[in-house]
Amino acid sequence: MSLLDKYRIRQAENLEKTMNRVQRWAAVAIVLGLMAGSTALLAGEMKADAATASEAITRAEAAQKKADSVNGEWRDTGKFIKNAKKAVEEGDYAKAIRLANKAESEGNLGYQQAVSQSKLEIPSYLKAMY
Amino acid sequence: MKKLLISLAVLLVTAVSAQAGPEEDRMAFIKYYKGKFPNVPMEEYANGAYAIDPVGRENWEAIEEFPPYEPFIDRGQVMWEKPFANGKGYKDCFPDGPAIAHNYPRWDREQGLVMTLPLALNQCRKANSEKPLKYKKGPINDILSYIAFQSRGKVVNVEVPKDDPRAMAAYEDGKKFYFTRRGQLNFSCATCHVQNTGLKVRTEILSPSVGHITHWPVYRSKVDWGTVGTLHRRFTGCNKNIRAKPMKAQGPEYRNLEYFLSYLSNGLELNGPGARK
Repeated sequence: MSLLDKYRIRQAENLEKTMNRVQRWAAVAIVLGLMAGSTALLAGEMKADAATASEAITRAEAAQKKADSVNGEWRDTGKFIKNAKKAVEEGDYAKAIRLANKAESEGNLGYQQAVSQSKLEIPSYLKAMY
Repeated sequence: MKKLLISLAVLLVTAVSAQAGPEEDRMAFIKYYKGKFPNVPMEEYANGAYAIDPVGRENWEAIEEFPPYEPFIDRGQVMWEKPFANGKGYKDCFPDGPAIAHNYPRWDREQGLVMTLPLALNQCRKANSEKPLKYKKGPINDILSYIAFQSRGKVVNVEVPKDDPRAMAAYEDGKKFYFTRRGQLNFSCATCHVQNTGLKVRTEILSPSVGHITHWPVYRSKVDWGTVGTLHRRFTGCNKNIRAKPMKAQGPEYRNLEYFLSYLSNGLELNGPGARK
């Protein structure tokens, strides 16, 4: 192998290494960019301030009341609302919104669960015994 | 034509089971459990989970040699015999006492509600200007333990009077509660105590509902009890376990549930107070 050939091979190897580095950094940059973008998007969506937290708690309390009106309230709904209020007092609005949304979801599901069973249904495994 | 006949048959079974009366319900439960546990004699159901759990039963029998509920019975006897501030006492409210547990729950025509023993005890106290007792923990368990002990051997004989539609409505309400899925886990009472009876939840064998009410109040050894508690305290615990908000002890929902459950145990002997894990 001539010196020129050796030089060409080394040049090709160096180019490949450089390309790999560029690709790796590009990937890192894309991931970081996506993370930064999604965080900003989430922050924008949540608008974690006192007014938003208060609205979320009001919605949660309404959903809880609705579920309770049909005996469908779940065990932890009240606890989530209580903790959401505590988080507001501590200034952690993002936490308050997260908890209130969870409570609202539970309230809605509990209501749906109860009204979907407004008629007595004997399960099939027992029905066969009548 | 065949499909039509099958559909009609399914509709008929559905209609029959949904509208079945108390006795049909009781027989359906017994038939189901007999199919599941063919070697368990009927009278054994009064022992709850220990009718179907031989290992748990050995422990239970050992515990019963030195029953943890004995001090509660003794304190209950003192309560029964001690007059209220006005000179009257429980004996005046319950002249047939203290062996009266088999008379409850019963339909109270005058008040139009299911009368349970704890509710009757507190009505007696209120009528005599005494402060009512709490329904889940504390001294109510003393007097209930004494009455239960004195009532051992009496047979459950709950009646749903046919001439008062409110009684049947209360029974049906209790039945509806029993079969309604609730809480985050979407379980009904039947999910554990019919469909999965005999299987384990963690280390516990799920008990059959026939026999659920024969042994109350109960001393439970588990950490957050370690004392005697009422049936409605247990209902509360069940509801919490499935992540549903519990109802109020001695509120209409739990009293009606007790009415339905108690009817299922008709014919079994009372053996309270009990000891459980």
